[in-house]
Amino acid sequence: MFVARRMQKNPVTMSPATSLYEAQEMMRARRILQIPVTSEDGRLVGILSDRDIRGTVLPVGMIPGFTAEEAEKFLKNTPVERVMTRKVITATLTDTLEDAIGLLLNYKINSLPVVDDENRVVGIISRTNVLEAFIEVTGMGVVSSRLDVVVPDKPGALAQLVGIISSFQVNITSVLTTGHLESGAMTNFLRIATLNVGPIRKAIEEAGFELLDPSKFLSR
Amino acid sequence: MKRLGIVYHPDYLLHVPPFEHPESPERLQAVMERLEKAKLLEKTAQITPEFADEGDVLAVHDRKYLDQLEKACRRGDMTLDAGDTYLCRHSYNISLLSAGGAIAGAKAVAEGSLDRVFCAIRPPGHHASRDVGMGFCLLNNVAVAAKYLQARFDVGKILIVDWDVHHGNGTQSVFLEDPSVFFFSVHEHPTFIYPGTGRRWEIGKGKGEGATLNAPMAPGSGDDEYRVVFDQVLTPAVERFRPEFVLVSAGFDAHADDPLADIRLSYEGYRYMTRAVIGLAERFCGGKLVSVLEGGYEISSLTNCIEIHVREMLEE
Ligand SMILES: [Zn+2]
Repeated sequence: MFVARRMQKNPVTMSPATSLYEAQEMMRARRILQIPVTSEDGRLVGILSDRDIRGTVLPVGMIPGFTAEEAEKFLKNTPVERVMTRKVITATLTDTLEDAIGLLLNYKINSLPVVDDENRVVGIISRTNVLEAFIEVTGMGVVSSRLDVVVPDKPGALAQLVGIISSFQVNITSVLTTGHLESGAMTNFLRIATLNVGPIRKAIEEAGFELLDPSKFLSR
Repeated sequence: MKRLGIVYHPDYLLHVPPFEHPESPERLQAVMERLEKAKLLEKTAQITPEFADEGDVLAVHDRKYLDQLEKACRRGDMTLDAGDTYLCRHSYNISLLSAGGAIAGAKAVAEGSLDRVFCAIRPPGHHASRDVGMGFCLLNNVAVAAKYLQARFDVGKILIVDWDVHHGNGTQSVFLEDPSVFFFSVHEHPTFIYPGTGRRWEIGKGKGEGATLNAPMAPGSGDDEYRVVFDQVLTPAVERFRPEFVLVSAGFDAHADDPLADIRLSYEGYRYMTRAVIGLAERFCGGKLVSVLEGGYEISSLTNCIEIHVREMLEE
């Protein structure tokens, strides 16, 4: 999946001359923590985060004589280009969601501007967007039941499992696979569109698979 | 001894699955045989319900859905959509009779002719929402009864306690924005079981915010965990809400022996929950309590649980 599918299109941007005060108001109003800074032709020149602003102004009261009015005056008179980060970590339109996740994690950042070939900002992808994608992958919120099945780590195991489920004419709404606790085994998490899991559970066990008892994992 | 009513109609057995299915007529047959054998029928009033009035059903469901359901049954469709909610030629009528059963129970208690009622009805209802049936449910019986009480008996605030092991997603959706109906559902955690909703942050919307309360239970939970939820979560919420009438979506599939779920309630757990809702009804509602059957698929634990449930409500 490419980032384009998950990014927020047409994100808020601002010019380098915008005051820190204005930038702060924009962040508050839109409940965002970062704003890409672009030149007049839309090319990315920097990014400003709420932390950059906080790092610039000492909290009122720390320095004698530094009042709230003075702090506001300072923010109004300082353009964002003076404090923004110029070396921006970005994603491109051909990056995948995995690339974006890797970048967000490795650089410990909250969001990535997405740029086109000309370095123009076309979107932004945040940790929240990644979480939304993950929720969709797990099938959360889709009416269904879940089966956790341990299968041997070899070709055809999942196919056999799917075959059993499809013999009950039941739709599979999501499949996740991860390594199991011991090597040589995988755990398949399937969401299936039925309330009637009893017979399917039974058939899976009769085929020799282990069904995970979720309650056993509570104390681990 | 309380004046307890039992709602039942032999035609409930006419809703028959076209293939092997856990929600079968045998469930209700076994329940009635047990109540008879335990001499509970002779100590209770028998209520024979009628079909629900269309107007009362339309307070919950869309006209379009009712038409669709009726047509599907007439056409001979085997299921609703592609799911496991089966239909037969009688299903539409019997679902009206099932909703009518919940109404009959509510009416008897609201009028004061009985203290409490248990409705031995099927098909179940709590997964059915305004415009779609699912999870073996066609019409939302308990929701229809709640709206009926408000429309015909001027009841203001109603508490619905849903202890079926599955989240009562249909009932929740009907009353999500309604501050006059407090919906409480305790169920196995949605990550592990159908329908996959009923998380603790689902608390109602708009004017109804705060009038929905979900208690998802970890797989393997039993009597102790449920007791804590009833005492420390439900009771304080009800003290704030102060209902005038209590309806119970009584599913018995949270029993340890039920094959559809991983909750391990014992018979004592069901006794405890029954006493808890009786206690709440006595404290706030002049005792007005109607319990409506939902799920419960293992015949032996289903019949044992219901005998206990009915005995507790009867207070012999
Ligand atoms: Zn259930």
